[in-house]
Amino acid sequence: MAHKILLIDDEAGFTELLKMNLEKNGEFEVAIENDSTKARETALSFRPDLILLDVVMPGMDGGDVQAQFESDPFLSRVPVIMLTALVDSTEVSDGAVAQSGSSIVLPKPVNFPLLLRVIHESIEAS
Amino acid sequence: MKKISVVESVLDNLPVAVFAKDANDDFRFVLWNKKQEEITTIKASKAIGKDDYALFSEESADYFRSVDKAVLKRGSLLRVPEEIIESRTGDDIHLRTVKIPVIEDETGRRLIVGISEDITENVKSRQQLESLNKNLMAANKELQETQLQLIQAEKLESIGRLAAGVAHEVKNPLALLLLGVDYLSQGIDPDDANVDKILKQMREAVERADRIVRGLVDFSSQRALSREPISLRVVIDEVLLLTKHELTRSNTKVEIDFPEELPPVFLDLSKFEQVLINLVINAVHAMSKAKSPKLQIHARCDSLDEVKKNEGARKYEVFRTGDRVVTLEIFDNGTGIQSKDASRVFDPFFTTKATGVGTGLGLSVSRKIVELHGGKLTVKNRSIGKGAVATIMLPTKLDTGKVSLKEPIEPVPAEPRKTGN
Repeated sequence: MAHKILLIDDEAGFTELLKMNLEKNGEFEVAIENDSTKARETALSFRPDLILLDVVMPGMDGGDVQAQFESDPFLSRVPVIMLTALVDSTEVSDGAVAQSGSSIVLPKPVNFPLLLRVIHESIEAS
Repeated sequence: MKKISVVESVLDNLPVAVFAKDANDDFRFVLWNKKQEEITTIKASKAIGKDDYALFSEESADYFRSVDKAVLKRGSLLRVPEEIIESRTGDDIHLRTVKIPVIEDETGRRLIVGISEDITENVKSRQQLESLNKNLMAANKELQETQLQLIQAEKLESIGRLAAGVAHEVKNPLALLLLGVDYLSQGIDPDDANVDKILKQMREAVERADRIVRGLVDFSSQRALSREPISLRVVIDEVLLLTKHELTRSNTKVEIDFPEELPPVFLDLSKFEQVLINLVINAVHAMSKAKSPKLQIHARCDSLDEVKKNEGARKYEVFRTGDRVVTLEIFDNGTGIQSKDASRVFDPFFTTKATGVGTGLGLSVSRKIVELHGGKLTVKNRSIGKGAVATIMLPTKLDTGKVSLKEPIEPVPAEPRKTGN
């Protein structure tokens, strides 16, 4: 069965292309939420195996969304990968992965094979 | 007491030089009063019966003779606004001369009567004034250059503050491009409907990145002030693009209220962006603790009478009655201005922000830029509700305003012809 991934990012173009990439080989089923204030609601109805979360978003930022997830009995167990254009090269060099609390942080622009590897590792670990 | 005629007495006591030459006798002098003696330092006894060639240099004499002949020919009075003769001590004497052709009633002789006023002192004062004015112009120019340098320095500081946000806004389209490349590099299936969509998205991403980078480059450029008719809405959109990151990050809601038809204003886009970026960033900082930060940007166009009634704008002496004025207001719901700071917000280096957040130049430079546009910038607390409002009033005509953008035009003094009387 395909793993379910939820993309939470206000950049509609980015989420659309990420969804296309992830669904290309039929390995994943992807849902998109471009409005961070609806992230919890969407996550609870979609029941993802993994969440890709943007940091800088209008309404609620990635940190607030993550805190909301962590206080939810179902969502707190779902691995979260944070994607952000905020990270600079001293924080994450190409190919490396940073940790923020329990989440993994990947820099934007993200290299898709690296993202895929981190997604696999996260799903296996959970 | 010496017995002389009334005419002689008047002539000798006149404050102007009077002389006459006989045109029928080779233009020899027949009259030479006291003031003429004083000015030329030539006694009447030496001058009477002599012509210009015997008394002055050949060059001067040639000039006098040509003027005299011209006066005779035209048969009417000729004014020479300024002529210069060299005194025996070598100093220049400036004269204003009138030459009149007359026919003496008793003798029928044709005479040239000359009346000269010594204007050397006036000319000296004028030259002094011109020299002072020139110095003042130079000082003013230097001040303007320094102001432009200050404006540019402040701009570089804003660019530094904006850079991280702009980089973030560029990284998003880059992220999209990379995903597109990753998708397409897995092999292109001609039946894959996604390919067209992806290419379209990639093109838009390049355009978006280009637009923001171009916006930053245009903003950074250091050019001489140049104004062009431009819609305020265009400036606002450009500024909101450059500050998008700061606004998103602070979760600030932006509300824009522009009338459908707002006349264009004459702006230097890059300098004016600098003003609005300062005002937007100030508002964001002031709202950092607000629960739901909200920025309202309103614009309208009034004629001066309406403005007077609404805004108590009598102090806006830069505008004249009947002028159409575009007013832009930026409202925030932040902490507002404390009454002790109200009079100092425009002082250079005055800041209530922490070290490293602001240098205190933003508002003082912004006010200068608005003044250079013939406008007025004020900042005060909102009359209703919490927060502050920055108001910019701008003329809709290019020639309004006290401060011209053009280089000051230096007066060119008319070079008087150097010659004798």
